[in-house]
Amino acid sequence: MTNINDAQKNWGSLPEILEQGVETLPQLLVYQTRRFSDQVFHRKKDFGIWQRYTYKNVLNQVKTFAMGLVSLGIERGQTVGIVGENEPELFWSEYAAQSIGATPVCLYPDMTPAQMEHILSHSDAVIVVCEDQEQVDKVLELEEKLPAILKIVYWDDRGMWKYDHPKLMTFKKVQELGMDYIRIHPNEFEEGVAAGKSTDIAILSYTSGTTGLPKGCIMTYANLFDTVFRLAGAVQMKPFLQYLSYISPGWSAEQMFGISMGLLIPFVVNFPEEPETVLENIREIGAEALVFTPPQWENFASLVESKMIEAGPIRNWFFKKGLAVGAKVNLAKLEGRKVSFWWRFLYPLADKGVLYPLRGNLGLQAVYFAFSGGSSMAPDVFRFFHSMGVPLRNMFGTTEMSFFTMHQGETYDLETVGKWLVVHPHFGPPLEYKLTDEAEILVKGGSGFAGYYKNQQATEEKMDGGWYRTGDAVHITEKNEVVYLDRVDHMRKLSTGHFYPPQYIESRLRFSPFIKNAMTVGDQDKPFVAAMLNIDAGTLGTWAEQRRIGYATFTDLSQNKTIRDLIKLEIEKVNAFLPEGSKVKRFINFPKELDPDEDELTRSRKIRRDFLEKKYARFISAIYSGETEFKAEVPVKYQDGRTAVVNAIVYVNDLNEEENRSQ
Amino acid sequence: MKINSYLMKAQDIALHFDGINALQDINTKVGHSEILAIIGPNGAGKTCLLNCLSGFYHPQKGQVFFQNQDITQFKPHQRAKLGIARTFQGVQLFRGLSVIDNLLAGRHIHMKTNAIQGFFYRPWTHREEMINRRKVEEIIDFLEIKHIRHKLVGSLSYGLRKRIDLGRALAMEPKVLLMDEPMAGMNLEEKEDMARFVIDIREANDIPIVIVEHDMHVVMDIADRIYVLNWGHLIAEGTPEEIKKNPEVIKAYLGEVRAI
Repeated sequence: MTNINDAQKNWGSLPEILEQGVETLPQLLVYQTRRFSDQVFHRKKDFGIWQRYTYKNVLNQVKTFAMGLVSLGIERGQTVGIVGENEPELFWSEYAAQSIGATPVCLYPDMTPAQMEHILSHSDAVIVVCEDQEQVDKVLELEEKLPAILKIVYWDDRGMWKYDHPKLMTFKKVQELGMDYIRIHPNEFEEGVAAGKSTDIAILSYTSGTTGLPKGCIMTYANLFDTVFRLAGAVQMKPFLQYLSYISPGWSAEQMFGISMGLLIPFVVNFPEEPETVLENIREIGAEALVFTPPQWENFASLVESKMIEAGPIRNWFFKKGLAVGAKVNLAKLEGRKVSFWWRFLYPLADKGVLYPLRGNLGLQAVYFAFSGGSSMAPDVFRFFHSMGVPLRNMFGTTEMSFFTMHQGETYDLETVGKWLVVHPHFGPPLEYKLTDEAEILVKGGSGFAGYYKNQQATEEKMDGGWYRTGDAVHITEKNEVVYLDRVDHMRKLSTGHFYPPQYIESRLRFSPFIKNAMTVGDQDKPFVAAMLNIDAGTLGTWAEQRRIGYATFTDLSQNKTIRDLIKLEIEKVNAFLPEGSKVKRFINFPKELDPDEDELTRSRKIRRDFLEKKYARFISAIYSGETEFKAEVPVKYQDGRTAVVNAIVYVNDLNEEENRSQ
Repeated sequence: MKINSYLMKAQDIALHFDGINALQDINTKVGHSEILAIIGPNGAGKTCLLNCLSGFYHPQKGQVFFQNQDITQFKPHQRAKLGIARTFQGVQLFRGLSVIDNLLAGRHIHMKTNAIQGFFYRPWTHREEMINRRKVEEIIDFLEIKHIRHKLVGSLSYGLRKRIDLGRALAMEPKVLLMDEPMAGMNLEEKEDMARFVIDIREANDIPIVIVEHDMHVVMDIADRIYVLNWGHLIAEGTPEEIKKNPEVIKAYLGEVRAI
């Protein structure tokens, strides 16, 4: 676990907010407005100009909208649905709902009406605040099925000119009602805010369950504040750092970052003009904090690659070389290794010539708080950004229990999801974990899990005597860092009773440039994990030619001694991150390429496990009977329909360390 | 469907090129807030009629009225000043200028300062530029082209260039918008977008829009009223429902079976 002293240093003066008795986000908004009244809180690009909203402006917007909701008859404990892209009005609506003790629930803007129906009806929403015509149309479609909804409010009136519906109302109109209401009840807003408690529901966050309907996870203010302190304890953040709000508030992460951290640290929260202009906007604001999902980071990386290819061979050459130097130096620094003088000499050149302009063009030169949240992402994408000089970090957690681990400090291991976070004592005991036999991680500590809304059964299923079942299979390294393996449901069991993550191992093997496809074997009758690999004939062919290794066919290449030794090293790299029982013990290189025409792969080039296990039964029996080589006959089908048989001597290779030494 | 009051009117128009009669005895009216479509087979004279309205052609016979004023002899730029804006079948934009600059060019008729004042850039010139830029930004917002505002028009796709062309016409703050085949050469998605913009313009600005268009699905969906031309003659007028059933129109489009 990270040292609590480090966390305290990073927190700085933040705990003062807790000492002031601030328990909820609306209370925090009032408190921060007292401190920073004319500082910019939200910024949104509109009509080509960044429009600024100071704390005073935001509080006023929130207050008038909140009182407008009250005058429409919204009461404490009722639910307000909010749906739209990330825009200031969305944030204001949420703070406003919270100010009057109502429960906001944010929906993803790309949800279908059917998906919206479940959430709006399950959460008992009585009012829906929509961004624009697109969202209004969806809610109107559901109107008959959702009689509880009293009003549909929208803030972008584009295309809405000819709409005439008794339930429709503009955001501005609600605020006008609010202003009238404030004149008659001048203190009601402040009283409503003061009545909030840390155990109140701050937001319902519906999690996309892999099975069944989404469940509404209750997040209390204590949960949100706890999260902010966990993250703020891990990375020191300057107040008023420029944050770009891009991930949807429908996802709990934006509730933790844009909504909660944005107010607590605080951030200057910037809203992109349009989803299409995000990259441009990042550059304009000089973003310092970015949180994207793995696909968004991957797109970012591939965009850079494709733009560089367009830029022509000369510039592309400089880009490649500059990035290579960056990779050498920055990754060594990250892993805490020393770099030779030569590379240290080259680095300033590469940085001045390539990396700095590259970061500048992408608007990433000021970023020091960059995160990938959500599912796992290939370490190669992380390496790409680190080579460029952007410290992209990974984290691990759940909506229910917030974040557990994160890449912290200056040196961390990209193969892991980082070290454990520190819980501020105000919110509860430190995080603790335990692993089950299936490698599932159970966690307790912090502000805990508040339960699912109206679903006691699902809540109980998730709890195991005070421990929260994450459903995630992990491996804990010697340094107490977490390696995320897979969902527990995807794990396979060996005859020894050990569970291993087949997809994780296979995808990690595929990261090697020399391995095109991989299949792990090992089930209840087999004592260890083995792998059958389809080598990458393209890269390995070139590699072999450069070293003057002669070969005639794919079969030749795949069974070559030097090649098999090379592959062995690649597997050892992967084994290093696996628990003992999950390590690959033996492997075979397929003597022919796997081919979708022969049903060995799907059209999207995924392996067809059951089919392969039958077709290559002889291979599997060789692995587990301890043979080192055997004569294989593999039928092949050519594209013109002819069939033939590949006859080859196939070697079974051991990843036994002693044997390695004897060689 | 008859309209009582009108904004623009063409009366007894005849246009011919060296003995070829492009238009004959055309009488059309454009109402105050309607989407009016002009349709017809190839060579029927649709674009000729639009050109007579916008002033690119001057008919040999007949008159064109706008807000009760006879504008038959007005040149295109004079008509533009009156508030008649048009878009083109082939896109006619400054390829080497950015989207913003192309739209600002559409603001030309609203600019009072000249090049010399622009050079010295006094406060009133600055103020005027602010006002015009604001208008242009409103159009950028309206047409959803924020992501390309600084791009050169020459680098954009055809569908987007059509949208910029429309934007430039809107920048004039027109009283009537004439559109020559806005959907030509577009894919389905671009057509849907364009159709939505046409409807939105009518709703937001409350102006009439005259569309010459080949795509029958689009016309039948969005038009309030339709004129049908064939061989330079007006053969039908009515709502989309009426036009669909009109035997003359069916004959013009599908031909007729004749005994040999």
